[in-house]
Amino acid sequence: MKKKIVTLAIFCVVLSAYRFVKEALFVVPVNFPEPVYDFSKNPLSPPKILLGRALFYDPILSRNNTISCASCHAQFSAFTHSDHALSHGIDDKIGIRNSPSLINLAWQRLFMRDGAINHLDMQALAPIHNIAEMDENIIHVVSKLQATKIYPKLYYNSFGDSIITGEHTLKAISQFMLTLVSSNSKYDSVMRDQSVFTDQEKNGYLLFQQNCASCHTEPLFTNNNFSNNGLAIDTSLRDLGRFGVTKIASDSLKFKVPTLRNIEFSYPYMHDGRFKRLSQVLNHYTLGIKKSNTLAKELQNPIKLTSNEKVDLMAFLFTLTDKSFLYNTSFAYPKEVFAESTK
Amino acid sequence: MIQKVKYSILFCLLILSNKDWAQNLYTMQFVVKEGATRFNFSDTLTLANDSNDVQITTLKFYVSKIQFLKRHKIVFEEKNSFHLVDFSNAASLQIAIASDSKLSYDELRFNIGIDSATNVSGAMGNDLDPTKGMYWTWQSGYINFKLEGQSVLCNTRNNEFQFHLGGYMSPYVGLQTLIFPVKNKTKVSLQLDISKIITSIDLAKSNHIMSPSTEGVLLSKIIANSFTVYHK
Ligand code: HEC
Ligand code: HEC
Repeated sequence: MKKKIVTLAIFCVVLSAYRFVKEALFVVPVNFPEPVYDFSKNPLSPPKILLGRALFYDPILSRNNTISCASCHAQFSAFTHSDHALSHGIDDKIGIRNSPSLINLAWQRLFMRDGAINHLDMQALAPIHNIAEMDENIIHVVSKLQATKIYPKLYYNSFGDSIITGEHTLKAISQFMLTLVSSNSKYDSVMRDQSVFTDQEKNGYLLFQQNCASCHTEPLFTNNNFSNNGLAIDTSLRDLGRFGVTKIASDSLKFKVPTLRNIEFSYPYMHDGRFKRLSQVLNHYTLGIKKSNTLAKELQNPIKLTSNEKVDLMAFLFTLTDKSFLYNTSFAYPKEVFAESTK
Repeated sequence: MIQKVKYSILFCLLILSNKDWAQNLYTMQFVVKEGATRFNFSDTLTLANDSNDVQITTLKFYVSKIQFLKRHKIVFEEKNSFHLVDFSNAASLQIAIASDSKLSYDELRFNIGIDSATNVSGAMGNDLDPTKGMYWTWQSGYINFKLEGQSVLCNTRNNEFQFHLGGYMSPYVGLQTLIFPVKNKTKVSLQLDISKIITSIDLAKSNHIMSPSTEGVLLSKIIANSFTVYHK
């Protein structure tokens, strides 16, 4: 009898440890909702995440092997292209939009500033094929990868098959991007009662809840909707946002509400990168709202903030910085993989 | 004991014979009306369209959700039913469907294109792999039907025309369901009348459809009406 109990106990420990290991690859932060991504169709595994990370950092995905995903999505800037208003791609070509940060993508349903991409798995196809970004072709990418020394092995370790497919390539890239979870900012620790706001941050938080949270909704700091936040149209780009996808007039000038996590480091701001500093963004919301048919109802009346209040609001926005995300070594260039290939 | 053995042998026999029954194969063969049943698109297909020659260089489409019905009730539905029919690949023109039992049916149904649920399900393999070239990259969604070629009527580079039809979101849904009365045949030939499609298009005005649109949905419907069951 005693023996049985011991065996049972060991069994339970092993089982729970196994569950722990499985879940540790993707932990839903306690103050977060359930993710949108269907992990059952693409279960995370360490070799797949590593493969995806290698692909993310490898310029082999571009026509002339010069541009990687990380060229426009660099970790230190929360995976955006800092200092570039419009993204900068192959042969120094300039794109039409500002590269967004890549944060908490598992909670996002539509991708791109206009929602043109309907699933995280399909996202990578867009820059690979875009003539101003990587100017490649997934068919050719797969054959290039197949001809390398390292990739057939990495695919075999990941999918049990060294024959490289488009499906496996996209799923691996998704796996890496799914791990880009930012949930350890000061804001999060305050929400988990592990820390407290300063008075200034506290006041900024109140102002945020009153003026901004209907769109930049906690805890993801986006409601995942598309809104017109009153930016005057840039006449050289004539970007109508969501309208370009749906062709519905009421979607004109609407863009996806971006997350504000790590906003301190993800400048420049807005779909066309028109603002370099957060102070300019706040001035836009208080003074620069351009009226049009599709302007969000929350912004019909100008937001009023004194200059002190703007400083407080900014102090709150800085609490969304997550150093453990920006410097997480498991998101960085995977030296160990590429070192292998030069041996 | 002997009883047990008897039953096991019986059981095995049953399984073995069952395996035999699984050999019920039904095939769908796609052909184009314009001549050759199997033609290789490395040579182009030339249509005599009035006085203007039209060359077809690419003809690819998805066949999905193949169903056999009897008195409007489904008697068999193929699992994981997604097939890319590509006229540059002879093997893809024939779709073999295996059924456990012999089918008694009076109607064949299938879709041309990919349903909306599949369209939003992320990356998939085999015929749905994005390397098959049937996926829009800048705006997610499968291309249901691809028809490309050349005609002097097209005032474009190299006189090319390209029709990429798809769309899974209202109001531009390209998916088409085709229904044919067919009785118990094990081989069904389906013929596509390309001339009928081409003559429905004013090539001088319309030579590019590359995203979901009203025009694309209209053409998808015309294409759906250009398939017939072919009796030799
Ligand atoms: C040349 C710069 C460039 C390269 C290279 C690039 N991207 Fe992007 N990325 C962008 C831009 C710009 C956008 C926004 C485009 C838009 O909204 O139309 C974007 C959007 C995204 C998004 C959507 C984020 C969101 O919140 O909607 C993801 C995910 C993404 N890229 C991942 C990748 C991956 C993976 C790769 C490599 C396969 C890659 N990017 C390569 C510039 C780039
Ligand atoms: C009606 C919804 C709405 C409200 C209210 C709103 N925003 Fe925004 N915000 C948006 C949208 C939409 C964008 C993206 C616009 C674009 O891409 O051009 C945006 C962009 C931003 C950006 C740039 C993010 C980036 O990565 O480029 C910041 C910062 C920002 N908002 C802060 C705020 C603050 C602070 C408030 C409150 C004072 C606020 N927003 C209120 C909808 C809103």
